[in-house]
Amino acid sequence: MLIKRSDATRARGGIAQAFASFSAGALDRRAFLRRSGVAAGGLAAVAGLGAGTVKRAEAGPMQPGVPVEVKKNICTHCSVGCTVTAEVQNGVWVGQEPTWTSPINRGTHCAKGAAIRELVHGDRRLKYPMKLAGGQWQRISWDQAINEIGDKLLQVREQSGPDAAFFLGSAKFSNEGAYLFRKFTAFWGTNNVDHQAKICHSTTVAGVANTWGYGAQTNSYNDIRKSKTVIIMGGNPAEAHPVSLQHVLQGKEQNRANLIVIEPRFTRTAAHATEFVRMRPGTDIPALWGILWHIFENGWEDKEFIRQRVYGMDDVRKEVAKWTPDEVERVTGIPGAQLRRVAEKFAKEKPGTLVWCMGMTQHTVGTANVRAACILLLATGNVGAPGTGANIFRGHCNVQGATDLGVDNTTLPLYYGLDEGAWRHWARVWDVSYDYLRGRFGPPGADDAARKRMMEMPGITSTRYLDITMLPQDQLEQGQPNLRAMVVFGHGGNTVVRMPEAQKALDKLDLLVVADPHPTTFAVLHNRRENTYLLPICTQLECNGSRTASNRSLQWGEQIIKPIFESKTDYEALYRLAEKLGFAQEMFKNITVRGKEPEAESVLREINRGGWSTGYCGQSPERLKAHMRHQQHFDLVTLRAGPDAPEEVRGDYYGLPWPCWGKPEYRHPGTHQLYNTHLHVKDGGGTFRARFGVERNGETLLAEGSYSVGSQIQDGYPQFTYGVLKRLGWDADLTDEERATIERIGGNAPDNVSWATDLSGGIQRVALEHGCIPFGNGKARANAWNLPDPIPVHREPIYTPRPDLVAKYPTRDNFRAHRAPNIGHTVQKQAVERNIPRDFPLVFTSGRLVEYEGGGEETRSNKWLAELQQDMFVEINPADAAARNITDGAWVLVQGPEMPRDKFLRVKALVTERVGRGVVWMPFHFAGWFMQEDQRPKYPQGTDPIVLGESANTVTSYGFDPVTSMQETKCTLCQIRAA
Amino acid sequence: MARMKFLCDADRCIECNACVTACKNEHEVPWGINRRRVVTINDGKPGERSISMACMHCTDAPCAAVCPVDCFYTTADGVVLHSKDLCIGCGYCFYACPFGAPQYPRLGNFGSRGKMDKCTYCAGGPEADNTAAEYAKYGSNRLAQGKLPLCAEMCSTKALLAGDGDIIAQIYAERVTTRGYGSGAWGWRTAYKDMVAG
Amino acid sequence: MKGITTRLHAALVAIVLGLGIGLAAAPATAPEALAQAPAAPPAASEQMLFNYLQGDVRGRVTIPDQRAAMLIQPAGRDFQTFWRSTMKWIGGIAVGGMLVVLVIFYLVRGTIRISAGPSGRTIQRFNGVERFAHWLTASTFIVLGITGLNITFGRELLLPILGPDTFTAWSELGKVAHNFLSFPFTLGIALMLVIWIKDNLPSRVDAQWFAQGGGLIGSAHPPARKFNAGQKLIFWSVVLGGAAIAVTGYIMMFPFQFIATDMAGMQLAIQLHGIISLVLIAIILAHIYIGSLGMEGAFAAMGSGRVDLNWAKEHHSLWVDEMMSGGRDAAAPSGARSAGAD
Repeated sequence: MLIKRSDATRARGGIAQAFASFSAGALDRRAFLRRSGVAAGGLAAVAGLGAGTVKRAEAGPMQPGVPVEVKKNICTHCSVGCTVTAEVQNGVWVGQEPTWTSPINRGTHCAKGAAIRELVHGDRRLKYPMKLAGGQWQRISWDQAINEIGDKLLQVREQSGPDAAFFLGSAKFSNEGAYLFRKFTAFWGTNNVDHQAKICHSTTVAGVANTWGYGAQTNSYNDIRKSKTVIIMGGNPAEAHPVSLQHVLQGKEQNRANLIVIEPRFTRTAAHATEFVRMRPGTDIPALWGILWHIFENGWEDKEFIRQRVYGMDDVRKEVAKWTPDEVERVTGIPGAQLRRVAEKFAKEKPGTLVWCMGMTQHTVGTANVRAACILLLATGNVGAPGTGANIFRGHCNVQGATDLGVDNTTLPLYYGLDEGAWRHWARVWDVSYDYLRGRFGPPGADDAARKRMMEMPGITSTRYLDITMLPQDQLEQGQPNLRAMVVFGHGGNTVVRMPEAQKALDKLDLLVVADPHPTTFAVLHNRRENTYLLPICTQLECNGSRTASNRSLQWGEQIIKPIFESKTDYEALYRLAEKLGFAQEMFKNITVRGKEPEAESVLREINRGGWSTGYCGQSPERLKAHMRHQQHFDLVTLRAGPDAPEEVRGDYYGLPWPCWGKPEYRHPGTHQLYNTHLHVKDGGGTFRARFGVERNGETLLAEGSYSVGSQIQDGYPQFTYGVLKRLGWDADLTDEERATIERIGGNAPDNVSWATDLSGGIQRVALEHGCIPFGNGKARANAWNLPDPIPVHREPIYTPRPDLVAKYPTRDNFRAHRAPNIGHTVQKQAVERNIPRDFPLVFTSGRLVEYEGGGEETRSNKWLAELQQDMFVEINPADAAARNITDGAWVLVQGPEMPRDKFLRVKALVTERVGRGVVWMPFHFAGWFMQEDQRPKYPQGTDPIVLGESANTVTSYGFDPVTSMQETKCTLCQIRAA
Repeated sequence: MARMKFLCDADRCIECNACVTACKNEHEVPWGINRRRVVTINDGKPGERSISMACMHCTDAPCAAVCPVDCFYTTADGVVLHSKDLCIGCGYCFYACPFGAPQYPRLGNFGSRGKMDKCTYCAGGPEADNTAAEYAKYGSNRLAQGKLPLCAEMCSTKALLAGDGDIIAQIYAERVTTRGYGSGAWGWRTAYKDMVAG
Repeated sequence: MKGITTRLHAALVAIVLGLGIGLAAAPATAPEALAQAPAAPPAASEQMLFNYLQGDVRGRVTIPDQRAAMLIQPAGRDFQTFWRSTMKWIGGIAVGGMLVVLVIFYLVRGTIRISAGPSGRTIQRFNGVERFAHWLTASTFIVLGITGLNITFGRELLLPILGPDTFTAWSELGKVAHNFLSFPFTLGIALMLVIWIKDNLPSRVDAQWFAQGGGLIGSAHPPARKFNAGQKLIFWSVVLGGAAIAVTGYIMMFPFQFIATDMAGMQLAIQLHGIISLVLIAIILAHIYIGSLGMEGAFAAMGSGRVDLNWAKEHHSLWVDEMMSGGRDAAAPSGARSAGAD
């Protein structure tokens, strides 16, 4: 039942009295809290503040006669992008109403969205900056915090160079916050910047982009309404993206569609499937190849589509031929007949779409998994049309936008990469010199070449920061010192594997800064006593800004209430830090700053000015705000505003899903379905991106005979540059102003100025006017020759329950990536030699609960949500439970292969047939208990989440994807016994 | 006059618990009081279905029948409400309710379990509409504002329907026709002595 | 009200439209689409489940309150029927019937006099401890009975007279009293059991007593020890019935905590509590009648503790013999005449 706080005695009599007058009825919230003692510490902490600084939102009924302001923002939880309608009185958020007009959620929410108002009531929010002094949390002012943090950072920089710091950003930033964060690290002089995308869909981005151009969901949630066959593989959207199920289930009902769920676990999504396929964790490629085997065997593939739009499918055939139904069943456990049924439906009952989430991506073969999924779509011609596509459901509310805007160790904003051209492009946009930026990089006293080398070297990842901190210097990439400082914005510490190691790494850092609405696991996991700072950041509900939903639609959220307590926006925190570090002048040169707070609209306009490569150029704040005002005019299925819509949004797709070409005034409608040749490019049509050249080994990489509607080039074509325009004679269509800009950018080689670097937008505009897409018309790649496994091959997980398969399907040899060595091969070899599966016979996999999100501090601090999941648990099959004398609801001890031998996780058993025999599952949102140690006292007073529990990532073990350093959280081994 | 009912389409419900937190958020319902909950039957097995359940506002409500102090009343819309001023917290309605709807602030009954609390169909209580006194005891009164219960309005997959019984039964019947299957309107037979197509 | 209804309908139309968009957009079901339609997932219908489970529909919930895992318990309807009609009939018949019987009996028989007339000499029948136990039980029982009857019949009988507010205030007070007085009542029961169990064990004399109808039939007085068979019946009814009421009452007071940890158990406990209480009330009504209005000289036993010797000899001849031989003589009030009535 209720959680009693051990420190309830901290509550002062004065507070109880002060609130006594409110306790009118049984339902009164404060009275309840006081009675239960739940909020006692929090309220006491509030009392300690001066009255002027406390801005606490009071819940309660609407006050009659007080004007109600209605504000629209976007839910800050998952990537579906549900509109939240808030009713505000006197600056207090008093009510939440359904937003019937949003085409994405049509009034609805999941548990998190429906409880989101609680986030800004702030009982357990971090209320003011704090630091650890002698192991005790101490309240400090913002000025003191920024000064001390800045001094320490500058000291680290002076001694060890800018790469001794790591900046971990957030998928909960707005686009503007994400962009500023990436820009901030560029001005600081490091590529050591990352965010949650690394651990959710980095392999998707890499795999999908390497297949057909962009690493994003090709269609949309709404578009699934048109699908006849939906395969959901490695995903549980019923819990992770509940509102998406509205579209999936309604589409399923109306089309009498097939809904096939391929998963190790019978999820809430599987409960609604027409076919549930249970597979062994970590065998996605054999399962996908098993489906393709039947397709190729029976000639069900879309031959014309492959001929026109796919490169290298014959190489895939050779690999697939090895995966006979028998071998597939031996490796995955899926019966051949079932896969044949799935294959036939997917190939024949079209349009079909493949939905995947982290079950597919979080593997040592994540990128290869994703590639195999794309290849299945290509083979069946299920891309580039309504109802088809790779519907990749992303995680956080703005993980798509934060990825797009380059909160990532391998690229500058909008996928420009890190090469000199990219730096020069952004230097132009930022109005600073390339030399200035280069001068920011490299260790003290480095020469220009060394600086340039660090500037173009992919940085460290969120999954490897612990190794970069702990490993001997000589094992790291040359130029990368051991980490000494870490600045974390909006990122949980329990999201990365190997937490026992992480604890040691955090202890070793010279500086740790956590900027977040809640103190995350990063604030308590370690045993630090000094040089640890907490900065209170407000939620996106308390600031303006745009966020990009999974379907690439941008939605503008308006500030519902002012930041509560002393919390500040990401924008202001970054500005203050930049100011202290001495580069605010340059960084905010063309951005409006009010007081110390940069204005979101102004930041978005700068993004528009530089965002050509991904079509972030057309979504001006004015257009996005108009979309929010006129939501009701967008069609539920096509997402397009019809002819009767107001002029300012007429013809647009909702949220101007990128790419939205040209300048805002060009009024490109955005792109609902990527690569859709059935539409004119000015209506959101397109082709596969010609990203990988025009020819390879004598074979063309450009489309053959396929082009978008109305294209004046009725065949494949390369990406547009000034040179290409000239050759086509289309350069005459450029205005003088555009031409001048191109020539200024190009210097002595203007022909090389491309659609992505032309700041005038002229090249894009002219291409579109001729019915062509600026990025060219190429083939998708079934063979991605630049990846470690150009054709995906099965590789057993590092810790596999099937050591007998390791000889045939070993993991990749050891290698180095992202400045760190990856010794996965050695670890796998040792695991087999030591017969780890004998001592740890259960396959461990993890996932998401509907009530919580990510590392979970925010949602576990939300009392409406916390009530629904009060204990960390492990799902275990009745047979495995019976063999261990474990009963439903009993405490059990869980141990992973890399944990200390005398340490365990203490969690509750949920005995269920959801998991198959030999497989256990844990949600990953819990923290605050660490190998049986209750860390509640380590939280600053009054900020501890209501629910604490052991973290799944204490069990998870070594294993990283070669392309992105994605971690393996979906397949390791463990042992469980009754407590 | 409309006869208000709830209908949970089990073929749509995904146990997302939006109905639960929407209710908590709208009415500031404390921990331990679950005006609405989602129950999953056949958990983890084929045929698994989740159903969101709260007070069904029964025809001939058993709670009202057993109440020793007659604190229940049915509104013109068919909503079953009660007066917390009259309730003595005896707990009998909980034993009579087929849906486990009545909730009490305290588990024990010694002295008092406190005033019974249950789903009001977002229709408040006997106090004047949308007053602070009404909110404190029963939560907000959306019906009086021309709105329907927030749980149904916010249901992620539109599984939970609220409104005039005839209309929601019609919607459900059309769904069953469209998709070709339906596992029945859970609780309708018990609550309204009525079955819906499916 | 009309305005509200109109707005309500507007809202309803809005939500229905929202819900219905998909339906409206649904393509006409073509025959081939039907032919291709995937088999419906193996879903259990409510009706199927009811038939299969023959009762409650239970599932899994994430909240700790496992009572919430019961989705539908049709037994609630049965409980309602029991509460609303069965129990009221039983109660009405038992309590009302007993009152009627007693009234008739009184009218027919009148107060049963001491055949020989009062002797003027008294004998100690119940000492202080015994009387304390009796009156502790009796007084609490009366309050418990009245407040209990209030819960059962108050809605029909008192509510129309008192009005809802007063009735609730009274009922709430009654409920508190009912809860608190349960403890002394239970103590009284326990005391009586300890003090009197040895006198209440069945014996052969009881058969004779029954054979003579306890003396009510005819005018003969069957012999009896300290307690005659009728009193033994009362004793065991009170002790066993009281214990049952206490146990079921505590179950209700601490629901789902012990013995009855599920819904069916709780419902049974309440039903037993009601039935046993009502029957016991009926029995006690008879007991009260016979101990006061119905029989001359009986009340003094629990009043002063001393009874008239003649009364004692008529009703508890063997007990008087024991008393006399045990040397515990009857004490004559000073100045009483010693005229032998024997």
